[in-house]
Amino acid sequence: MNCFMANWAKQSIRLLKHELKRGELTIIVLAIVLGVASVFSLAGFSGKIKQALLNESTSFIAADRVLQTSRKIDFQNITTEPIALSRDQITQKSQQLNIKQAQQVLMSSMVFAGDVMGLVEIQAVSNYYPLRGELLVNYSTNTNELAAVNAPDLGTVFIEEKILSLLEVTIGDVIDIGDSRFVIKAIAKQIPDASFSVFTSGAKVIINIADLEKTQLVQPGSRLTYKYLFSGDVDAIKALSVWLKPKLNDSQRWYDIQSKQSPLANALNKAEKYLSLASLLGIILAAVAVSVASRRYAQRHQSSVGVYKAMGASFSHIRKLYYLHWSLLSVVSIALGLLVGYVLAQLGLYAIQDYLPVQLTLDSVSETGFSGLISLGFYPLIIAVFTGLLCAFAFAITPLKELIATSPLVVIRGASLTPSHQMFRMRVGKFLIPLLALLLLLFVFSNDLMLSVSLLIGGILVSALLLLFGRLLMKLTRNIGTKAGASWHLALANLQRRAQANSVQLVSFTIAIKLLLMIIVIRSALLSEWQAQLPEQTPNLFLVNIAQNQVDNVEQFIDQQGITASDIYAVIRGRLSAINSDKIAKQVSKEQTDGSDNGRQGVGRELNLTWREHLPKENSVVQGKWWQNDLTDANKPQVSIEQTLAKRLDIKLGDSLTFQLGSEVITVPVTSIREVNWQSMQPNFYMIFNPQVLADYPASYISSLYVSVDKKDQLQKFLSAYPTISVIDVDAMIAQLRKVIDQVSKAVEFILVLVVFAGCLVLVAQVQASMEEREREIAILRTIGAKGSLLRNSILLEFVALGAIAGFMASVAMELTVYLLQSHLFKMQTSFHFEYWLLGIVAGASFVGIVGLLSCWRLLNMSSVTLIRRTM
Amino acid sequence: MLEDKQLSLLQDINLAVSTGETIAIVGSSGSGKTTLLSLLAGLDLPSTGEVYLKNKSLHQLNEEQRSQVRADHVGFIFQQFLLISSLTALENVMLPAELANDENAKQQAIDLLAQVGLSERANHFPAQLSGGEQQRVAIARAFITKPDVLFADEPTGNLDKQTSTHIADLLFDLNKQFGTTLVLVTHDLTLAQRCQRSVEMQGGRLINDQNLCDTNTEQLSGNTKTIQAEVV
Repeated sequence: MNCFMANWAKQSIRLLKHELKRGELTIIVLAIVLGVASVFSLAGFSGKIKQALLNESTSFIAADRVLQTSRKIDFQNITTEPIALSRDQITQKSQQLNIKQAQQVLMSSMVFAGDVMGLVEIQAVSNYYPLRGELLVNYSTNTNELAAVNAPDLGTVFIEEKILSLLEVTIGDVIDIGDSRFVIKAIAKQIPDASFSVFTSGAKVIINIADLEKTQLVQPGSRLTYKYLFSGDVDAIKALSVWLKPKLNDSQRWYDIQSKQSPLANALNKAEKYLSLASLLGIILAAVAVSVASRRYAQRHQSSVGVYKAMGASFSHIRKLYYLHWSLLSVVSIALGLLVGYVLAQLGLYAIQDYLPVQLTLDSVSETGFSGLISLGFYPLIIAVFTGLLCAFAFAITPLKELIATSPLVVIRGASLTPSHQMFRMRVGKFLIPLLALLLLLFVFSNDLMLSVSLLIGGILVSALLLLFGRLLMKLTRNIGTKAGASWHLALANLQRRAQANSVQLVSFTIAIKLLLMIIVIRSALLSEWQAQLPEQTPNLFLVNIAQNQVDNVEQFIDQQGITASDIYAVIRGRLSAINSDKIAKQVSKEQTDGSDNGRQGVGRELNLTWREHLPKENSVVQGKWWQNDLTDANKPQVSIEQTLAKRLDIKLGDSLTFQLGSEVITVPVTSIREVNWQSMQPNFYMIFNPQVLADYPASYISSLYVSVDKKDQLQKFLSAYPTISVIDVDAMIAQLRKVIDQVSKAVEFILVLVVFAGCLVLVAQVQASMEEREREIAILRTIGAKGSLLRNSILLEFVALGAIAGFMASVAMELTVYLLQSHLFKMQTSFHFEYWLLGIVAGASFVGIVGLLSCWRLLNMSSVTLIRRTM
Repeated sequence: MLEDKQLSLLQDINLAVSTGETIAIVGSSGSGKTTLLSLLAGLDLPSTGEVYLKNKSLHQLNEEQRSQVRADHVGFIFQQFLLISSLTALENVMLPAELANDENAKQQAIDLLAQVGLSERANHFPAQLSGGEQQRVAIARAFITKPDVLFADEPTGNLDKQTSTHIADLLFDLNKQFGTTLVLVTHDLTLAQRCQRSVEMQGGRLINDQNLCDTNTEQLSGNTKTIQAEVV
């Protein structure tokens, strides 16, 4: 085959083989490998994690997406009111997109077991329910064995445990729901989409939706909630969303787990942002490494190209030779990168396997055909190869072009002599092509052109500032250096002398350290925010329906047992009927309700109202005054409203709100707007009145408690005396939430490691890039009799100073960026991190110092003769 | 160009070198020896004047065409050896032959390495060779295409005296064997003495042209403003 291969190809392959073997391409290969590997593993890993987390968390709504409406959408044979969207349309579209569907209908109803009756929540579900998560039932009260099931068989029901005592029944007994009779088949232990809301009435009875008709419970005017559940792959669900959303009317809500206002959704959204940001920064670092390494590559090859040209090699011969060489190098590196990335992602996924839902591994086995290996999908592969190619070519094309344009005169003159007419073009290209490539990368990863452009422009400005600032600092240190010892003197003089090269190095060190610091700081801020969200002793039980005359006894019990509890809140049901005498229906347009998942309930249905003297702990007033702080008007009737609802309904301070409480109507002015921490697992209210308004209305009461396992028995005993008090146990939910947050934290840590590695590589590549010049200097210093220790120290100190300056600048830049990110992207409380400044400076100094010294170690230990021979 | 003032590196040069001749260009540092060499070899172009090599007017050719002339007729030996560090000694020697699409490149390279006494070192990389050995590889590389003209820029400049003598012997032996025209730039008068002719440069001008075979000294005419260099 060799006979047919062109000479340039033979020479190119030969060059590549030798250089790879001799380790001359290590840095560049590593840079591309790392870029590709991190993109591949990050995209694959974080994609899988995200998917797994979503799978896990979507179980909270039993589907990927839910269409919820109070009016039925043309559902089988039950009479319906005509609405724009027909069920057939949806079914057709879902089938087209290969999306699974399930339905459920929710309503409150009385059920009877002989003479005993009770109010329960009927959940009529179709056969495929649940689409996500598991409905776990227990077929016998004697065992704890749980089975994952779908809808109950016709004529049977699953009931929640508390119904056993409510109706005095057991498994196998018969209960009456409406006009129909059902056999209790099992006890529902875990209902995936059990409501987060503590105000949902009674225990659940699950029936098959096909049985609903014969119960005759659905009558004109019945208050029903219809939920249409959808699940399928991400793109299909997206497509369905795009199709469906414009068709929805005011009474229909379309939501996924992330649009639910829950601690989980919040954590997931932030984790997703963090993972994307970290991946992006990792890629930028890898690209910088490639860029630095390719520049060095071009410099190193200049004399070879000169020799080739002197010997008569044509321009096209050299171009083909080097393009092939570079292409082969890139292909080898990208392939290696994919392999490393795949292994990394597998290791990462393996490490957190215990935390991941089973579904992930099961799916994957069938996807790959290899048991135990998890397919990362095509997207990460494509994006990784794309990144690799972009890094290898866009960031290296200018140095390569310069290399190919090398004049043969370098064999005589020994220096690069790029023709002057090419200088400007090349200078522009030198920056323009990588910048465009970076923009493209940013855009591909963020899918947001504005964000990408502003990041890039911001980056350029910051780099320019850093460049100036760095020069200034180096000059300053030079002045200090003249007063220091010989090693310092030499080190700082070197630093200053190489100011131009060093300031470029400095900027890349700074950027690398800054990005690393940023990732570490945001990570720990996120983790602590998540931790704070669910501190130890987060309430795990809610007591609802506490009657007025039971409040003292409950409080006494809580005190006696030393249980951590929230205050006890009065709950009075009422409907907001008008704002400033405008009927509420007119106030709410479609635009205002779009995306609002909480407000509409507060408008269309009854709200839970409460009254308080003091501002609740998890609330803060953002506008107006709390009545306690306003002594003059404290006794006038007034209401405080939660800020998102206020915004949604366009309610301002001073507006008067009219509420319908049973047959009575009250009108009160808004005197404060509150921010509420909805994630606090405390009873929270949209509307809080002052005592003067509501204190005399009959109310039921609610409280949240943290009850440890050992105290649960006592609570049970206490509550047996008060059968009307309902207990809502959110332990399982909290446990699941903790698990999800654990997983997110693991994912975040994995990505941190990769980004740190990418940062280190940039540092090494950058130090390597200055190696030839250093070699020459060391040779000269050796020749004039500098001692080994002086050389060693001066090199170490030069790098230490460089690293420390970079670390300092990185800390300042990090602080600014983190502030912006926290306030704008993550929407969390901003914080300052001076402790990380020290980390930045110390880590910068020690890392750059050590890497620099190690890279020069070989040179330092060479004999003077060898050194001189190598460099002269 | 230096700060808007034109700096003439070479002036009034009229030099012709005949086929098979060995000529040394001597002179102090900065006298323009190396610049003249790069013009003669077509590595650079004069701003005015004419340069001919094997009847080709180099001053009228572009970079690519000059490359072709070099590939067809020229060999080089440099002071810094300029071996390609990532290729073995054998591969370095083969390179010019490969560029000329010579199918027998490898065998010729092996033979030439044997002639310069480096058969054993064929698969070593430049960094594994001593300075003298590297220059021997460079000599072998220079002769592999049997060039019509060999340009040598201070070929012994980086070597000790003993090695220098050895390298010079090799150079002149091979030169004789292949009948190559040799243009040698050197400081080393002993080395220059081994050539048939020696020209001396000073301040960018040729001031002395000496035929070393009959020691006749002939003053070059200093009137022309152009560079005239011819190698036939």
